[in-house]
Amino acid sequence: MIEFQQVSKQYPGAGYALREISFTVARGELVFLAGPSGAGKSTLLKMIAAIERPSQGKVLVNQQDIGKLPSHSIPFLRRNIGLILQQQRLLEDRSNLANVMLPLIVLGASRQDAKQRARAALERLGLGDKVDAMPQALSGGEQQRVSIARAIVNRPQIILADEPTANLDRQAAQKVMDALHTFHAAGVTCLISTHDEQILASAARVIHLQAGQLLSAAPEFTAENGSHA
Amino acid sequence: MKNWLRQHRFAISVAFAHLRAAPAGFAFNVLVVAIALALPIAGLTLLENVRPLSEQLAVEPEISLFLQLDLPRTQALALEKPIAGLLSTAKVNAKINFVPREQALSSLQNRGALADVMATLGQNPLPDSYVLRLANYQSAQAAQHIDQLTEQIRTLPGVETVQVDSAWVKRLAALLNILRYALLFLAITLSVVVVVVVFNTVRLQVFTQIAEIEISKLIGATDAFIHRPFLYSGALLGLLSGGVALGSVALLLPPFNKLIAQFAHLYASEFQLQTLGLLASTILLSTSVVLGLLGAWLSVRRHLARSA
Repeated sequence: MIEFQQVSKQYPGAGYALREISFTVARGELVFLAGPSGAGKSTLLKMIAAIERPSQGKVLVNQQDIGKLPSHSIPFLRRNIGLILQQQRLLEDRSNLANVMLPLIVLGASRQDAKQRARAALERLGLGDKVDAMPQALSGGEQQRVSIARAIVNRPQIILADEPTANLDRQAAQKVMDALHTFHAAGVTCLISTHDEQILASAARVIHLQAGQLLSAAPEFTAENGSHA
Repeated sequence: MKNWLRQHRFAISVAFAHLRAAPAGFAFNVLVVAIALALPIAGLTLLENVRPLSEQLAVEPEISLFLQLDLPRTQALALEKPIAGLLSTAKVNAKINFVPREQALSSLQNRGALADVMATLGQNPLPDSYVLRLANYQSAQAAQHIDQLTEQIRTLPGVETVQVDSAWVKRLAALLNILRYALLFLAITLSVVVVVVVFNTVRLQVFTQIAEIEISKLIGATDAFIHRPFLYSGALLGLLSGGVALGSVALLLPPFNKLIAQFAHLYASEFQLQTLGLLASTILLSTSVVLGLLGAWLSVRRHLARSA
């Protein structure tokens, strides 16, 4: 589903953000990206969503080479990706419901349908009573769950979450992780970057990065036995 | 198709939301663009009213031959032949019309403004005359031809004075031509002003919507989806400004026409400025909408290119 082949990313006038990274993530897999700040976790996630392009190597998503993807095709790639960022980036002048409706509006869904599906997504994340509230009225954890609802409302194939539990207390972080586990259980491929040791302790697969280099990417998911080797 | 229509409906609702968010600013921008549009519209209204007048004059220039006052009528009538001969030699198509002095006097007496003056004269001061109405003369080269012909006519026995209206027709045509170019230049300059005003208005809207644009891009919005609300804002700005400009010019015409009427009456004319027709107004409104769209498109495109 996702394949990195000798991928490097270098910014002009700066060093390598990623250097010769290679790994594969199979469909339906839940993979954590671990490493200290500046390790390249965010850059790696941004490459999958075509926010960044590799300087060298290939990033393949559903066999599509992101480096060669024309600009006009990028929106269609992103419609299959639910992106959850560290900063929730919710529209503060819109209700939570309107925020979650946005991806469906972009797809051209009817207002009625978008409303129904957005409400269902918010209820699924335990925010049924906050549908009409504005994002500022919510706690950090609740805002993060709204952004998760927005990421999953159009049923993406991949969820990319960049430090989704950063700045959240343990209870709020657990709720966010529970939600992500639920979507993974429903067959969604998830890549989650975190440096939360408690979360990583129970992870089936962790890709470790440090200073842009891959320390370890195993164990890998095998299609034959349907489990981590 | 349904999805496409829904996305347009959404874009229109967002455009109106932008308008509702800053109605005073939007109204001010409409006013600025309307003033910029009103100048060429007023100029075009003037040209459109004067153009038929000048075309009519230019198409049929006239040569008036005033004969000697004491020339007997028989000799005056006999001049038609040599005049026709000169016209034929010069290969000029013309209607030759003899105007007896009595007819000229009665025509002047019928003009309200001059009736009193004519009544004070003891006898008819007007000579017999010929009016030659030339067909299809518009170019400068043809007018030169008329000048040569005039010189030949002037030498005919019994001819006192020859007057050619082609000279002032040429001057009027040249003046209108200059006006046309000046108006074109003004229209182009002010079109640029309109585009710049819309560009800046939309740029400010883009600045206030940066978060929404960024999020929309991350969730898979195409550039067309992001452009659309701003294009509707630009088109709306163009449409309203064009409407205000056309309306203002139409409102200014009646008081202006009162002044023209006083002036035209001195020349026994009924000339009045008319508002632009439906077709011309529609074309102008469409042009202002297109200018609004262009300004908005350039503004959003610049932002997207910079943020890419």
